[in-house]
Amino acid sequence: MSVLRFDNVSKQYPGGHVALADVSFEVQPGEMLFVTGHSGAGKSTLLKLIHLSERPSRGAVLFGERNLRKVRRGRVPLHRREVGVVFQDHRLLTDRSVFDNVALPLILRGMRRNEIGKRVRSVLDKLGLATRERALPTQLSAGEQQRVGIARAIVAEPALLVADEPTGNLDPTLSAEIMALFASLPERGTSVLVASHDLGLVKRMKKRVLVLDHGQLADDIAPEDLADA
Amino acid sequence: MPEAVQSAPIQRRARPQGRIGTWLDHHLYSFVASLGRVARRPWSTALTVGVMAVALALPLGLWLVQANVARFSGDVQRSREISVFLKADIDAARAQALAQALRARADIGGVQLRTPAQGLAELRANGLGAAIDAVGADDNPLPSVLVVTPRGDEAMLAASLQALPEAELVQHDALWRQRLDGWLRFGLRVALVLGALLGLGALLVVGNTVRLDIQSRREEIGVLQHLGATDGFIRRPFLYLGLWYGLAAGALAIGLLTLAAVALDAPLSELAASYGSRFTLQGLDLPTAMAVVAGAALLGWLGAGLVTGHYLRQTRPTDT
Repeated sequence: MSVLRFDNVSKQYPGGHVALADVSFEVQPGEMLFVTGHSGAGKSTLLKLIHLSERPSRGAVLFGERNLRKVRRGRVPLHRREVGVVFQDHRLLTDRSVFDNVALPLILRGMRRNEIGKRVRSVLDKLGLATRERALPTQLSAGEQQRVGIARAIVAEPALLVADEPTGNLDPTLSAEIMALFASLPERGTSVLVASHDLGLVKRMKKRVLVLDHGQLADDIAPEDLADA
Repeated sequence: MPEAVQSAPIQRRARPQGRIGTWLDHHLYSFVASLGRVARRPWSTALTVGVMAVALALPLGLWLVQANVARFSGDVQRSREISVFLKADIDAARAQALAQALRARADIGGVQLRTPAQGLAELRANGLGAAIDAVGADDNPLPSVLVVTPRGDEAMLAASLQALPEAELVQHDALWRQRLDGWLRFGLRVALVLGALLGLGALLVVGNTVRLDIQSRREEIGVLQHLGATDGFIRRPFLYLGLWYGLAAGALAIGLLTLAAVALDAPLSELAASYGSRFTLQGLDLPTAMAVVAGAALLGWLGAGLVTGHYLRQTRPTDT
C-alpha cells in the first residue's frame, strides 16, 4: 500500500497553461524522495495537488486509500492535517512563541493540553530546540526557524511530509543539516517528499529523484543509479 | 466524517479528546486570542467602539424622547370640551341668546357662557393681574366664549360650530390631541428608520474593523489553512472580536444616554414644575438596557461573521 500515488495526473490552469502532463508515480511508506526541475517545471503544482490547494484536471491523486478528488471542500482541512508541510520561508506565526507555533497542529486536532505539552517538548528536544521553547521566531537564527517549521510539520506524526524548497534560504552547511534531519524521518514512519532545484544537494543525498520538465515526468532516478552518476 | 478520513493513521495516533471537549477547547482558545487582539490595539478598538456607540445612542435617544413625550401627553387629561370664541362685536345679550339656542340642539350636552368680564377675572385669578393692570385694560379686549360639551360626534359638532356666523375661532382639544398623536407616531417612525439605518452603520463599522484585522492577519490565516484549520476555527476569534466590540459599544451607548438624561433632567423638571407638572425624564429600565447591549453584541457578531465568511469564501482553496 503506497502512501501517495499519482495516476496519469494532468493539471491545466484556467489560462490554458499546462503545469503537469500525465504524471504517474508512487511513494512507499518510509520512503524519502526529491522532486527536482527548473522553475516552472511543475514542482509547486505537484505539491499543491497533494495538499489540495489545487485539484487535477485529469487523472487521480491517491493519498493512502483516499482519492483526493472525492474529498469535499469541508473535508479539505481534515486531509491537510495528515500531510506535514515545510515552506521555504518557514511561515511561522511571529507573534507566538516557538512552543505555540509547534503546538498549533495538535490544537487543531483537539488534543488534550497536557498531551500537547508532552509531544511538543519531545519534538523540540529531538530537533535541538529544547532551550528555545519560549523564544519568538524572530529571535531565532534562520536555521533554527526552519527547524521550528519542521517541528511543526512533524509534531502530529503525519504519514507524509512535503517540503517546498526547504533549504532555499540557508547556507550549504545549514542545508546539509536540515536535509540530514529530513533523512532521519522515514525511519520514524514518515515518508518525505522534498521539492528542490539544488541539484548538487539532491545528488549528495543519494535518494530517489523525480525530474520534472515542462510538466512532464522526465526521469525517475533510483538511489543506486544516482550513486553511479 | 467520511470513512477514509476516520481510518487515517494520524487520527488514531493523535488521540483527540471528545467532540465537546475539542469544541470547548477551541472556543477557549479563540476567546483568549480575541481578547489579546483587543488589548493589542487599544486605540483602534476605542475608535470602533466609540463610533458604534454613537450610532446606537442616536436612535435610542430619539426613541426615549418620543416615549417621554408620549407619557407626558398621556398625563394631560383628555378633555371633550369645545371652546367657541365669539367675534368681538357680539355683545353679552347676543351671546346669551346664542347659548340658549345651542342648548336646544340634540348634539350638544350643555353650553356654558364665559363673558369677557369672567375671562378677565380668570386671568387675574391665575396671577396675571399685575400684567393686566400694566397694559391698562380699561377696555376689555377679551371675547365671549361658549364652552360647549358635546353629545355624540365631537368632530362634526366642531365643524358645524365653526360655520356659525358669530364664531371667530373654534378650539377643539381632540383635534390637537389627534395632531399630537400623529406627531408622536411620526417620531416613533423616525426613531425606527434612524435605528435601522444607524444599526446598519454599526454593522458596517464592525465589519470594516474586522476586515482590517483580517487583512493584517492574512499570513496567519494562510498558515492556519495550510495546517488544516477549519473555516470555523479561523472565523471564531473574529466572531468573538465582533462580539466584544458590540458589547462595549452597547454599554457605552447606554452610558452616553444616561449622561444625557442626567444633564437634561434638572432643567426639564424645573420647566415642568413651572407648568405645575411633576414630570421627570424616564431613562431606560434594566431589561431594556440589557436588551440594547445584547442587540449591539449581536450586531457586532453578525458584522464580523459576514466579513469573515466573505474572506473565507474568497480564499477557498478548491471549489468542489
